[in-house]
Amino acid sequence: MTEVGASAVPAVEVTGAGKVFNPGTTRQVDALVAIDLHVGPGEFVSLIGPSGCGKSTLLRLVANLIEPTSGSVRVNGKPAPQARLDQEYGMAFQQAGLFEWRSVVKNVELPLELKGWDKGPRRQRAMEMLQLVKLGDFAEHRPWQLSGGMQQRVAIARALAAHPPLLLMDEPFGALDEMTREHMQAELLRICGETGTSVLFVTHSIPEAVYLSDRVVVMSPRPGQITTVVPVDLGSDRDLDTREDARFFEKVTEVREALRGHEVDELELARGIGDV
Amino acid sequence: MARRGSAIRKTLLFVLALVAAAAAWELYKAIGPEDGGSILGWKLLPRANDVSMPHVWDVSARLLDDESRTSKRPIWRVVLSGAWYSFRLALLGFLVGTAVGVALATVMARFGIVKRGLLPYLVISQTVPMIALAPLVVSWGGKLHLGSWEWPKWLSVAVLGAFLAFFPVAVGTLRGLESASATSIELMRSFAASGVQTMRKLRFPSAVPFVVPALRLAAAASVIGVVVAEISTGLRGGIGRLIIEYARQASGDPPKVYAAVVGAAVLGLAMAGLVTVFDLVMMRRRPPAEELT
Ligand SMILES: Nc1ncnc2c1ncn2[C@@H]1O[C@H](COP(=O)(O)OP(=O)(O)OP(=O)(O)O)[C@@H](O)[C@H]1O
Ligand SMILES: [Mg+2]
Repeated sequence: MTEVGASAVPAVEVTGAGKVFNPGTTRQVDALVAIDLHVGPGEFVSLIGPSGCGKSTLLRLVANLIEPTSGSVRVNGKPAPQARLDQEYGMAFQQAGLFEWRSVVKNVELPLELKGWDKGPRRQRAMEMLQLVKLGDFAEHRPWQLSGGMQQRVAIARALAAHPPLLLMDEPFGALDEMTREHMQAELLRICGETGTSVLFVTHSIPEAVYLSDRVVVMSPRPGQITTVVPVDLGSDRDLDTREDARFFEKVTEVREALRGHEVDELELARGIGDV
Repeated sequence: MARRGSAIRKTLLFVLALVAAAAAWELYKAIGPEDGGSILGWKLLPRANDVSMPHVWDVSARLLDDESRTSKRPIWRVVLSGAWYSFRLALLGFLVGTAVGVALATVMARFGIVKRGLLPYLVISQTVPMIALAPLVVSWGGKLHLGSWEWPKWLSVAVLGAFLAFFPVAVGTLRGLESASATSIELMRSFAASGVQTMRKLRFPSAVPFVVPALRLAAAASVIGVVVAEISTGLRGGIGRLIIEYARQASGDPPKVYAAVVGAAVLGLAMAGLVTVFDLVMMRRRPPAEELT
């Protein structure tokens, strides 16, 4: 996994990053505090934590869609703004965000179009990507003719289209049924294995995080921070049986307890206050 | 195909509405007071006599008659050629107004400072009465000489049509350009799209559903602008002038002025039809209304 060479530059390096929204107003939110996050080349890292703990915010910091209030963010060895301009990453957002005036295949072509690709190769790549997410037959449909899960898959195809070295994914499989979800997970692992793509992946599903990741980063809210990092290492030959493995369950339990940790704290705190 | 079905239904409804309007007219004529009437002392009820409200069939018959004893052309041809003349001016005004409106909206959407500075003046511009503006534009135009070319009066009329048409387009397009969701804008940013790319591939397409109704308003405004400007500048050849001329003869030949009004209505319909074609072309790939939520 850890080859030495040009690709030894970390895919993501966040040091001491914080984000405060609306500072100095009554609506001030300390969304992230003192975040240190490292994603190695080819590594798959998941972010998990309760709703509102700042997972999307952290992803958007890495994508340079927002600026950190403090600390630094580097992507593939470059400062985040430069990395964005150089298209070092592809992003799949929490909402599919397809353009309703474009056909499905044209939506997937969008990033390639913006990069100035010619029509022929563009269409070919977009079709490959659609086949990958099993939507080849829907290329000429309009987004609004697709179900929510299908739209989400188009968004994933769009994020993958330019073969970026880093993928930023915000709950990309949230709207999918279990079977499609498992298929997409396997495909994602296959793509990353073949191309050496690094992934920073936000999810609410503990089994999904454990199954996909090399490391699971557990976050807690108010203010958003990283509480635990669980190394998983189920091996690169994961398949459907992996999910029935004792090691798998062990890790699922570990992540669950890390997540529950501060929940218990809060409960006890509440009880303590109640007793007084 | 559902759209074609609804087009047929719309046409039917339109014809039905026309018949209903004619029937209402005749009904009022039959039961309304000959010399008008008052409700609670207010003189509200229009006169139902033949001078004020000629029969629908009299107006129709008058359309087929000769214009006057001296002019042997049937009125419908005179009215139609007047409407055609005004239509071309209104169309020119509409196109110029639309181009100006879209350009202004684009600049305002791109530069917030231009928007804050300009928008109030655009609103004020629409409160200037046409009647006051028309002679001004004509006299400004009269002072323009480009070599041997002289500013014709009909151009002033088209400009006044454009003056009314640009406003709804500017406001509608501006709203449309600003309607792109925050998510879509972030998406374009994540693709490192330039400002121009974001404009072309995201903001303009997002604006289309807002521009289409704005064009409808602009079409109506350009017709009104042209007809009023024809009257107040005294331009001959258009429907505005005909209405004035025939109105002078109204006491002796009441159906005649209504024949001209029919011409104005045809003109309005032609513009509306044009915009509907626009609408169908521009919205053909959009979700049908009920799925827009
Ligand atoms: N643009 C913004 N302005 C103000 N506050 C914001 C903004 N974006 C996020 N926040 C706040 O930051 C906190 C973290 O939000 P974020 O969207 O990152 O949560 P999340 O972990 O992704 O939640 P979820 O799992 O529900 O998607 C929330 O309290 C939210 O209210
Ligand atoms: Mg989120």
